[in-house]
Amino acid sequence: MAATKTTAPGELLAQVAGERQTGALVVGGHPGGAVYVFEGRVIYAESPAAPGVGELLTSSGRLAGRTWQNALDLGTSTARVGRLLVEQGHLTQGELELCVLGATYDAAYFALTTASPTADFLPAATHWLGPVVHIDTVAVLREVQRRVKLLDDIFPNPRIDTHPVSPVARPPRERVTVTSLQWELLIHADGQRTPADLALLLGRAGYATIQELRRLAALGLIELPGVRTSESPDFVRLPQHRAEAAPAARPAPPAGEPPAVPVISGPPPSLPPPAPPPGEGNTGPNRLPRLARRKPGAKLPKELATENPPVHQGTDEVLLKRIRTALRALR
Amino acid sequence: MAGTAMRPYVTSREDPESTSRREVPGVDHCLQEAMTIPGAVGASIVDYTTGFPVATTGAAPNADHEAAASGTAEVVQAANSRSLFVSAIPHDLLEDLIITTAGGYHLLRVVHTEFDSRLVLYVWLDRVRGNLAVARRQMQRLADELVAS
Repeated sequence: MAATKTTAPGELLAQVAGERQTGALVVGGHPGGAVYVFEGRVIYAESPAAPGVGELLTSSGRLAGRTWQNALDLGTSTARVGRLLVEQGHLTQGELELCVLGATYDAAYFALTTASPTADFLPAATHWLGPVVHIDTVAVLREVQRRVKLLDDIFPNPRIDTHPVSPVARPPRERVTVTSLQWELLIHADGQRTPADLALLLGRAGYATIQELRRLAALGLIELPGVRTSESPDFVRLPQHRAEAAPAARPAPPAGEPPAVPVISGPPPSLPPPAPPPGEGNTGPNRLPRLARRKPGAKLPKELATENPPVHQGTDEVLLKRIRTALRALR
Repeated sequence: MAGTAMRPYVTSREDPESTSRREVPGVDHCLQEAMTIPGAVGASIVDYTTGFPVATTGAAPNADHEAAASGTAEVVQAANSRSLFVSAIPHDLLEDLIITTAGGYHLLRVVHTEFDSRLVLYVWLDRVRGNLAVARRQMQRLADELVAS
């Protein structure tokens, strides 16, 4: 395996295309990816930040997951998954070509704009999808550069492309108009999912996703990601402790003052709060009114005792999808 | 020029069944068919989020398919986002955009795929030889055949 290191992925791609080689350009880093060339022309690209052909076709409902898996089982070893789907009548040639073209340009953008990348060329490597389209490498490289500029024309903040998306709590104006994709993104953004997570979850092209997110940022509808000093580029993110969850260390209200919210209509506020009934385990004099208000839940004392941050639902789903994609890629 | 180089080509043609499936053409075949529309001088399929010509054939205004594609994308986005025509009724999707000039007709037909894509078929017609109604019907058929199962 001849491997070329420490070259910009774009330059290496142009070089192997000039030599009309066949193989895979593997880009390491975040998000990274791979660009597959066949006799100097791009036939496919993939990146964790862009849904692949399989995700696009199955998440939209165009193909049943079973159909896609069948084609993978049959065609992976001979690298003709794409052809099989057309031959079996599941897709038209036009659909397959358009889907592959879209996914390839999408993934190529993320693979070739990876920050601080490493680039290896694996000669003779092919992709299991098989050659469906043959795209001029120069056209791919030029399009990637054009897409970078397009994003900066909308809103020049590349941090939006990689950081978890949080909608603003209150829109900055009275009347807001959003496109349907913007709506989808806003209702699925939860402060945990990154743009790549959202693209995979919704089966939307990765570039179209970040394009709409930049527009949303320009409209002031999503929070701008702050610059954190301890930036961990790990792919698996631990759920962050959320401020709105019940804080473990609850500040005690100042003694002698009435609670801010009138919870119990009882004695006038000048009187001291009533003593807790004996045998309930409540020790602090300020605990009783607050707990009484939470009565339907009735589980708060346990939550206060254990300091586990709330486990987030969406991350599991996205993580499982990623693992599934990675396992498929290994076939 | 780059326009012809980025055109994909169909690889599977050796199996005997493919002749009976002539009615489900690939991208390249679709553009060739578009060029048979009376008066057609150029055709392309454009991704209108990025303004990128996914596939092109024939001539383009000012001999620049990429500039034509980005112009096409702006027109489609304007119609989709900044006008009320497409949102008057629920599920009322944009179909065609037709721009007529003194010298030609520019027809845009949105290609609706079930998977996520934002594509439009663009055909440039010569004004004298082109027939708007015929061209529109043929483009409708082509766009449907491209993705119909």
